[in-house]
Amino acid sequence: MTKAITIPMDLWEEDEEAVLTAWLVDNNSEVSTGQLLAEVMVEKISYEIHSTYDGTISITCQEDDVVNKGSIIAEVS
Amino acid sequence: MLPTNSQRIWMYRNMLISRYMEERIEAIYMEGKKPVFNMANGPIPGEMHLSNGQEPCAVGVCAHLNAEDIITATHRPHHIAVAKGVNLDKMMAEIFGKKTGLSGGRGGHMHLFDSDVNFSCSGIIAQGMGPAVGAALSRKMQNKSGIAISYIGEGAANQGAFHESLNLASVWNLPVIFIIEDNDWGISVAKSASTSVTKNSDRAAAYNMPGIHIEHNCPDKIFSATKEAIDRARNGGGPTLIEIQTSRLAGHFMGDAEAYRPEGEKEQLIQEDPLPTYRQKLLSENIITYDEDLSLVQETQQLIEKAITFARESEYPEPEEAMLHVFA
Amino acid sequence: MSATKKLTIARAMAESLAQEMRADPNVFVMGEDIAQLGGVFGNTRGLLKEFGEERVRDTPISETAFIGAGVGAAMDGMRPVVELMFVDFFGVCFDAIYNSMAKNIYFSGGHSTVPMVIMASTGGGYSDAGQHSQCLYGTFAHLPGMKVVAPSNAYDAKGLMTAAIRDNSPVIYLFHKGLQGMGWLGTEPAAISQVPEENYELEIGKAKTVVEGQDITIVSIGIGVHHALKAAQELEKDNINVEVIDLRSLVPLDRDHIISSVKKTGRLLVVDEDYHSFGVSGEIIASVTEHDHHMLKTPPCRITFPDIPIPFSRPMEEWALPSTENIINTCSKMMESK
Repeated sequence: MTKAITIPMDLWEEDEEAVLTAWLVDNNSEVSTGQLLAEVMVEKISYEIHSTYDGTISITCQEDDVVNKGSIIAEVS
Repeated sequence: MLPTNSQRIWMYRNMLISRYMEERIEAIYMEGKKPVFNMANGPIPGEMHLSNGQEPCAVGVCAHLNAEDIITATHRPHHIAVAKGVNLDKMMAEIFGKKTGLSGGRGGHMHLFDSDVNFSCSGIIAQGMGPAVGAALSRKMQNKSGIAISYIGEGAANQGAFHESLNLASVWNLPVIFIIEDNDWGISVAKSASTSVTKNSDRAAAYNMPGIHIEHNCPDKIFSATKEAIDRARNGGGPTLIEIQTSRLAGHFMGDAEAYRPEGEKEQLIQEDPLPTYRQKLLSENIITYDEDLSLVQETQQLIEKAITFARESEYPEPEEAMLHVFA
Repeated sequence: MSATKKLTIARAMAESLAQEMRADPNVFVMGEDIAQLGGVFGNTRGLLKEFGEERVRDTPISETAFIGAGVGAAMDGMRPVVELMFVDFFGVCFDAIYNSMAKNIYFSGGHSTVPMVIMASTGGGYSDAGQHSQCLYGTFAHLPGMKVVAPSNAYDAKGLMTAAIRDNSPVIYLFHKGLQGMGWLGTEPAAISQVPEENYELEIGKAKTVVEGQDITIVSIGIGVHHALKAAQELEKDNINVEVIDLRSLVPLDRDHIISSVKKTGRLLVVDEDYHSFGVSGEIIASVTEHDHHMLKTPPCRITFPDIPIPFSRPMEEWALPSTENIINTCSKMMESK
């Protein structure tokens, strides 16, 4: 069963859009809970996205894509 | 010596102009930079250092100055440029990188040069101090009138050029005034962490010149406190170091998250914003009426809107024009 | 094979610093905004938290003093890594760098070492204008006594930083702002690479052939490598087969590596974001031609920044900067000429 990696709803205060600026794992690699996966940027501030699951990651959102709080950026199975 | 009513209105008007300019620039700067904050994008690319809150430091001093007096300023120059009388349309066009800008788009916001009013600024900390000393030297050697003012931040007081410039100005008894806009922060480093003295004005003693500390970010107080230094310079009495406690209401640069500021500091500063404070003062002392204030606000906003329109409608330079004006 | 993680160059630099600081208590970092802020360009993130204020020191805006202090500390047994926030700021402290740091080993007849690293940001392309956008590779490479490195990707960034910290000679470590992975200067995904979690060094002074080819040798460093790689992909479609060399170091310069490539291809193009005249591009071309000019089938070419202060306005700056497009056009012309 695949589980979604989403941008946490409380990661930043306003409802600004963000950009996914860097993937720090390769597609189809093994990830574990707590592992640093990606960086997103809101205006000029960078935030880290960590994995909430163990498994194989399937990236659904590319670098330079616009994301919001709650956006799904990958799936883990 | 207190400013006259017309001087106070002059100061207030220039504060209105530069504050509105910063507010508009802040909004326009973000055009094209959402959601991807790439500094190269949008009508105003690059860095942007806004002067909100520091307006009194500009108007309180420039109220004493003429076009022939020379100012060198820093990476946070707009309020000073406005008060010095820099051409607003050309300044805005320069910030937009247009052909009609002060330097045809070569300098941008950190390198504004207007020789008509003897204003220039640059982005290297304390770099303007030597040239201010030199301008003062030049006027003295040519027996011409005019004094030089070097604006710096408190961070610059720890740079070698600061100490050398003060010493040289003092040794040669030059008509130059060094003004520190102390907003307490050098990007993320607080003054208390970087500076060995609490008051930089105390350092003046090391260079045998008067040091003035101005506690309040208020145009009238700054006007009064700097008058003596200005007269001293004009009358051949030599240099002065002035330190003004001001506040930086915006971040260091646009996009600065300011996580380094202690909690509540920003809110406190906003409460003490010198612009509405001065407005209230002028209204309560009947220097201006509500209608006159409204009129001033509208008039100054129109000036900036005109400048923005001019900038937006102006052409970009041709790319190859980058090769021009390297040499005279 | 050891575990790897994908890192941006900023994170790779910080990781190298952290690992070397754990291994050697004499390594310390100082500079402006490198402590609480983690560096304006993200390269000291996490260090203050792990190592504290004694070893991660925010400085006043006093480059002459703190870079000079780095020299003295290095000669007395410490291993300072000192940040010069923008390479353009070298002007206020260059004496400490080129006259002192770079010459003291020599003046001491080899009895003293100066194990100091100066890390500085370089590069333009985002309208930071004439005093905040320079590369100055030539300026630092030209003066004797200091090694100069400039990584194009995170793997090299970590290895070169570790090598720089362990080197008993002074090293100038130049990182391009456009490659840091900070997001607000755009992202170059190819600069984000798999980086081994363990410590490792890359030998300073060794270039790397990133992509092999038969027709043209492109030599570059920093962001120019990425422009060249993109150009190589496009040129492949026209059957032009380009070899891209990433210098990684300017001092020592890996002349042998360049020469053996040009021996194979017979065509040389240097891509350098620094100023055109009296610099890196001229040095590379001179090194090749004085070795054996018969190797060349066509005159060598260079794509560089013109000899002008870097303009603010986007059309002017973009026109002046080396670009993938310029490289493609130049390579096509090189293939046509006899």
